[in-house]
Amino acid sequence: MKWIAIVIAVAALVAGSVRANADDQFARAVQPILARHCAECHGAEDAEQGLDLSTATSVLAGSATAAVIEPGNSAESLLVQSLASEADPHMPPDGQLSDDEVRAVAAWIDSLDPATPVGSAGISEADRNHWAFRPLVRPPVPDGNDEGWSNTPIDRFVWAKLKSAGLSPSEPAERAVLLRRMYFDLIGLPPTPEEVAAFVGDDSNDAVDRVVDRLLASPQYGERWGRHWLDLARYADSGGFHNDLDRPHAWRYRDYVIASFNADKPYAQFVREQIAGDELADATLDTWIATGFCRNGPSNDDNMGKGIALEKYRMDELDDIISTTGTVFLGLTIGCARCHDHKYDPLSQRDYYRFLAFFHGAEKRQLELDSFDADELKLRPVNGKPDAKSPLAMVLTSHGQPSRTTRLLWRGDVRNPGPVVKPHVPEVLESSHSAFPAEAARRIDLADWITDAENPLTWRVIANRVWHYHFGFGLVATPSNFGRLGEPPTHPELLDWLATEFRDGGGSLKSLHRLIVTSAVYQQASDARDDAFAQDPENRLLWRMNRRRLEAESLRDAFLSVAGSLNPQAGGPGVHPRIRPDLLVASQRNKWPVVKREGAEHWRRSVYVYVKRQLQLPLLELFDAPNTSHSCPVRDNSLVPTQSLVLLNDEFAREQAARFADRARHDAGDGARAQVERALWIALGGRRANSALGRGRCVRGRAAGVAGTRGNGSRRRRPRRAGRLVSRADESERVCICRLINRWPIRAARISCIRQAPSRGEIGWLAPARRSATWR
Amino acid sequence: MLARDGLAGEAPPNVEQLAARPPHFTARATSVIFLFMYGGPSHVDLFDPKPELDRWHDQEIPVFKKEDAFMGKTRANAMRSPFQFAKHGEAGIDICDQYPELAKVADELCVIRSMTCKSNNHGPALFQMQSGSLLAGHPSIGSWTTYGLGSQCQDLPGFIVMMDHQGAPVNGALNWSNGFMPASFQGTPLRTAGEPIAYVRPPAGVSTSRQRAQLDLLGRWNSDYAAAHPADEELRSRIAAYELAFRMQNSAPEAVDLSREPESIHRLYGLDNKVSQHFGRNCLLARRLVERGVRFVQLYSGGNEGPRAWDAHDDLEKNHRLHCAETDRPIAALLTDLKQRGLLDTTLVVWGGEFGRTPNAEGGKGRDHHHRGFTMWMAGGGIKPGTIYGATDEFGYHAVENPVTLPDLHATILHLLGLDHEQLTYRFQGRDYRLTDVGGQVLRSILA
Repeated sequence: MKWIAIVIAVAALVAGSVRANADDQFARAVQPILARHCAECHGAEDAEQGLDLSTATSVLAGSATAAVIEPGNSAESLLVQSLASEADPHMPPDGQLSDDEVRAVAAWIDSLDPATPVGSAGISEADRNHWAFRPLVRPPVPDGNDEGWSNTPIDRFVWAKLKSAGLSPSEPAERAVLLRRMYFDLIGLPPTPEEVAAFVGDDSNDAVDRVVDRLLASPQYGERWGRHWLDLARYADSGGFHNDLDRPHAWRYRDYVIASFNADKPYAQFVREQIAGDELADATLDTWIATGFCRNGPSNDDNMGKGIALEKYRMDELDDIISTTGTVFLGLTIGCARCHDHKYDPLSQRDYYRFLAFFHGAEKRQLELDSFDADELKLRPVNGKPDAKSPLAMVLTSHGQPSRTTRLLWRGDVRNPGPVVKPHVPEVLESSHSAFPAEAARRIDLADWITDAENPLTWRVIANRVWHYHFGFGLVATPSNFGRLGEPPTHPELLDWLATEFRDGGGSLKSLHRLIVTSAVYQQASDARDDAFAQDPENRLLWRMNRRRLEAESLRDAFLSVAGSLNPQAGGPGVHPRIRPDLLVASQRNKWPVVKREGAEHWRRSVYVYVKRQLQLPLLELFDAPNTSHSCPVRDNSLVPTQSLVLLNDEFAREQAARFADRARHDAGDGARAQVERALWIALGGRRANSALGRGRCVRGRAAGVAGTRGNGSRRRRPRRAGRLVSRADESERVCICRLINRWPIRAARISCIRQAPSRGEIGWLAPARRSATWR
Repeated sequence: MLARDGLAGEAPPNVEQLAARPPHFTARATSVIFLFMYGGPSHVDLFDPKPELDRWHDQEIPVFKKEDAFMGKTRANAMRSPFQFAKHGEAGIDICDQYPELAKVADELCVIRSMTCKSNNHGPALFQMQSGSLLAGHPSIGSWTTYGLGSQCQDLPGFIVMMDHQGAPVNGALNWSNGFMPASFQGTPLRTAGEPIAYVRPPAGVSTSRQRAQLDLLGRWNSDYAAAHPADEELRSRIAAYELAFRMQNSAPEAVDLSREPESIHRLYGLDNKVSQHFGRNCLLARRLVERGVRFVQLYSGGNEGPRAWDAHDDLEKNHRLHCAETDRPIAALLTDLKQRGLLDTTLVVWGGEFGRTPNAEGGKGRDHHHRGFTMWMAGGGIKPGTIYGATDEFGYHAVENPVTLPDLHATILHLLGLDHEQLTYRFQGRDYRLTDVGGQVLRSILA
């Protein structure tokens, strides 16, 4: 093989020097002419038809479809031909170069060595050598003395990096902290005080393993990790545009995702079903529903326009599908190549339309679910009137469709069609496994190519996503962009090791979770250490665990869970919790229903809350639930006063606070002190349980102090010990405890006030036996 | 410049997202009030008189193309304006007789008669006017403004939206969406009745002093924790956010408390009149918000759909008589009031809808959506007053002289705010996005 590389390198050098000469003469004699007459349409910034006439190299490269000059032969060169006054098409369209100018251009072309390479520069070795496009090879696990730190091979990679930077990892997190971390991470809910106590007291070697196994086996796992996938799939229950039409059947896709995670469906199968579930040999109802992935984007089904507008609208919808497919599965921003070649990555406009061609024949359809029969499908067209009554699924399929010819569209404009293209994968990723019959290629062929073991992107991308969700930061910080504008990986060998481990282990996400959660790096404390912080403030080398704010759903779910309100019912149509009537005006039609009082039917996990594009549940939206217009690979972590306002003043928070107070009383009986203690147990998730109990009196003292601010200043005291007590609690817990304690004297004095007694936040959970029984 | 300002294509860190930031260059305007005439006000009946329509009344005009019609019953026949035009002010600005009060401040206006956009469908056209894109998911101009400049006012949101009393426009809250930017840049709806901003009022039975006590305790705990974790920026920001939230509970009700305004001001804005009181109240609020440093205020005239908006398909005269009556005095008052307070110099006022209307008739008395040529105007904030810019053809169909695209308009607004539209970028999905995408020329000839 080596000699081939040498030949290529030599050829490149020769070509390079030829081009250098061409450059020189071009710059002197030709460039000023072309700049004067042509640059407006064919400049570097705005190269119509892909033709950039600003440099010798770009002139030699030609347009997106053809060479425009034949070196050494100006008469046969399209560029010179089209400058002639009688030419058709004639360039420039409303001007004429002087004879001298045309002669200067011709002279330059004639001076070129006929061997000068022309045409698209194509894919260079440097392009193919971009880290993410390189073949995926399993790297060796670093050895060397890690002082017994490592639990897993992951740790050896992290250790090696830390050591080479002169850093050391942090101590293991406290047991209670670790348990809480695993709960929120794997199921999105806090542990009960009893679960914490049991874990803290369990010093067997496999205590962590058993917790991880239990959490991964619980149905809440799919609700938590399925939600991550729904972010990527831009999932919503309405269309967004104009009237924001309801999608009464979108939830079937959501439930499909949750069930797939819970079943630990092999990743390749999961991908194949979502791209081409209708084309699988063994298609089932579920795999058809999976194509909802391609249907989740915003749409305007009652107002699609007509004629050119309709055609443009269709292309916009296809763009949504292939942009999402490209970023989610491949980390490839192929959508950038719709109107022109990608500005940074080796993705041409031709690549874009060839990729689009896989999807071009498919249509949006509604599949009737009653008596589903893969051989006798009942498909309905999509129109502007959602039918909520019949059981239907939103699907994408080319079933019964005539095949469509795909043309490249110059500047992405439907009125400006270019050459016909066939379905194909991006040129830079071509390899032996992409050799399928281009003529008849279908989405399933694309899905097969994406999930092929040799695909360099797919496995890296998903391994990195899983890491991102566990740590709050990917090894590649831009999980949906593995191109040149994305971040390179901080630990490339670790990423490749994880990707191959995942791929070769059958694509089991649960195995990957287990591997990561049981690692020493995951189990580190999250405290900042001065030495390491100064050197690596962003913790890219993982010298500690990252501290994170809870996501919107976990925040709301924890509210419900500590208040004993959480209704664990899974699946089905989205629920509409109360939104204040004065906020409902912000959605124009198909409004959110008015809910006077919330009940158990509303207190479901947040993944089941109806996602209305024009009006999201404010509590979720304020805490950065994704905007569903595009795939969301990384959630924002915003911090604005309206978040504080909603926590302070929203009716949901107040009601759950009252229920939390009730629960403390219910659990602890009449004694105020016992109630405080119980509330703290729940609020702290059992963390530092012993000290919490020991300091109950102190909290009472603080409560009295706050009461003092309401009229009796003499009793005011500094809450030193109480402060320390909760100093480790999370943000929302502090709100909760604060509110609870503030109200305590009132409550002790007048039990009837308890209905308004507030408290809030994410806090413990009921003992397992009571979980399902306690929502009322 | 941008890198120095921490705006090199990424959101500033959380702590600083809403802090005031210096512009790229000296700003002419520090605030914008966008008067959004939702539904599509008819340029040929308001600011762009076309005598040819009288001559061609009920005859087919040659410029009409069938594909430009949005509605099936739209015909090629011209329809003359039911309104009379006159020239007003020293500058001789053409304004129709339905805007008698606005006509008195005609010399403040810079009327752009050659606007164009890319869609004659409300939804996409609204998105394009707001965000430059025909599709959902892109930040609106108010978001770009607060992203670029932060907020001058720490007690109120930087980007505030007021809907018409008839309801929201199509696309709902997506019209003031932050798109792919962090949620802190989205428009905050402000209501004139009840709570001005959602959640800004403590629940019944919770006194300010009790809430203060709660926050004090919370603050102490958080401070203790922050002291033990000096590296945790976010915790300090969270403490600040609680304090700001507490202040907002006072400042937001104060900002919208119109009882603090004298009777004369109420009358000036038309609050004493049933027809004009709704929009008048919003205009007065807009002035109060701008006084308090809010960056971008967007007010909608027209809500919901059809006749409740400027969407005059059936009866143009009836529709525009109503909406002009609703807005005439309030808008004139806003310009007058801003000027007398010395605020007009630094406040850019923009008037317009998502498109205009056809010079040809829809049915017997209506006009259809039209995007190939229509009118917007601007005033104050560094705009050359008493100006007419651009022109449509003799029918008001095509913009033929100095056509203006929405990126041009957006570039000009950003320019007046001291922002270079080519440098104000936000990186999303591997690309540096601009409000003006790859277009936009600042309209230098209408700058003062």
